[in-house]
Amino acid sequence: MEPQLPKSYRRATLVDLLDRVLDRGLFLRADLVISLAGIPLIGAQLSLAVAGTETMLKYGMLAEWDQSIRAAGAARRELPRSDAPPGGCQNDTPCQTA
Amino acid sequence: MTVTNVDAGANANAVATDALYVYCVARGDGNCLMGPIGLDDRTVYTLTSGPLRAVVHNCPAQPYESQDPQVLQQWIIAHQEVVQAAANAFGAVLPMSFDMIVRPAQAGSAGDALIAWLDEKRDRFCRLLDRVEGKAEYGVQIFCDRQRMAASLVEDDQALGDMRDEAAAKPRGLAHILQQKLAKAVREGVEKQADAMAQDFYGRLRRCVDDVRVEKLRKDDSGMQMLLNLSCLMPDGAKELGRELDEIQDTPGVSVRFTGPWPPYSFVGA
Repeated sequence: MEPQLPKSYRRATLVDLLDRVLDRGLFLRADLVISLAGIPLIGAQLSLAVAGTETMLKYGMLAEWDQSIRAAGAARRELPRSDAPPGGCQNDTPCQTA
Repeated sequence: MTVTNVDAGANANAVATDALYVYCVARGDGNCLMGPIGLDDRTVYTLTSGPLRAVVHNCPAQPYESQDPQVLQQWIIAHQEVVQAAANAFGAVLPMSFDMIVRPAQAGSAGDALIAWLDEKRDRFCRLLDRVEGKAEYGVQIFCDRQRMAASLVEDDQALGDMRDEAAAKPRGLAHILQQKLAKAVREGVEKQADAMAQDFYGRLRRCVDDVRVEKLRKDDSGMQMLLNLSCLMPDGAKELGRELDEIQDTPGVSVRFTGPWPPYSFVGA
């Protein structure tokens, strides 16, 4: 008999995706990155995004998730960073790439 | 740097896009245009330094935020799809977390800053890429039905069965105390059994994969208890894990969720 096959991410729940894309992956060094103060907000907003989906309720993971994102956001905010929006060119054309 | 004569109201489209949203790091030299597949259909391309490249799009120097849940979902999915497209094009990738945007530095452009970062991390990223080459991440979650476990525990365990029978035979007040005692013993028994199962399953699954991360358990109010939450790294398409999960799934009261292949989000951290 063929062994169990994993669900591809399209069939996996949004929760599986959020877990990975928001919580894991590489992080940029704090001094390079644009202010991440928005990230806790994204956590809270996404709770709305998926509220009502059965899985989200089933795993009851949102509170924990939002909390950990907030904690991570708070930790990042303790690192030195600049919030000053940089001035810049008005050039909206994408870089030329070969 | 100065911004000259921009009427914000009239020129809403003229926001500077001098920051870089980063999707992932991969191997390869030569810049490459991947097309309008990014968040909000931004044009995605690569920036290269040495043996490494970063997959990016140009964006304003502000985080992606929205009040619209649909928009947020689309961004998250677009992020994942770009990482997947990069994996298809370049092989192993180190996925970035969402909303990792390099800002232009005073000394140079965001591109300069990103390339300096790639150079600084080169050894580490090359090692990580070696480690995930040809492999994919799979999510495994194992649940057990506590009620069912409790019921079979009382059936199978002589001492607990005796307690139940004794409680049934006593007058009401005493029966109540005995039932509470029984409930506590059953709870502890279930807990012990769940721990033992989790350890057993972990050992069996660990042997099937190259690397494993133990993730936090999630609470569940449906009566199913999460026993294990693992991220597993193994050769893409390998069958051993699925076979072992089939066997685990045959355990009464146990159910399994198996997702993937994912880019190795859980295997690029410290």
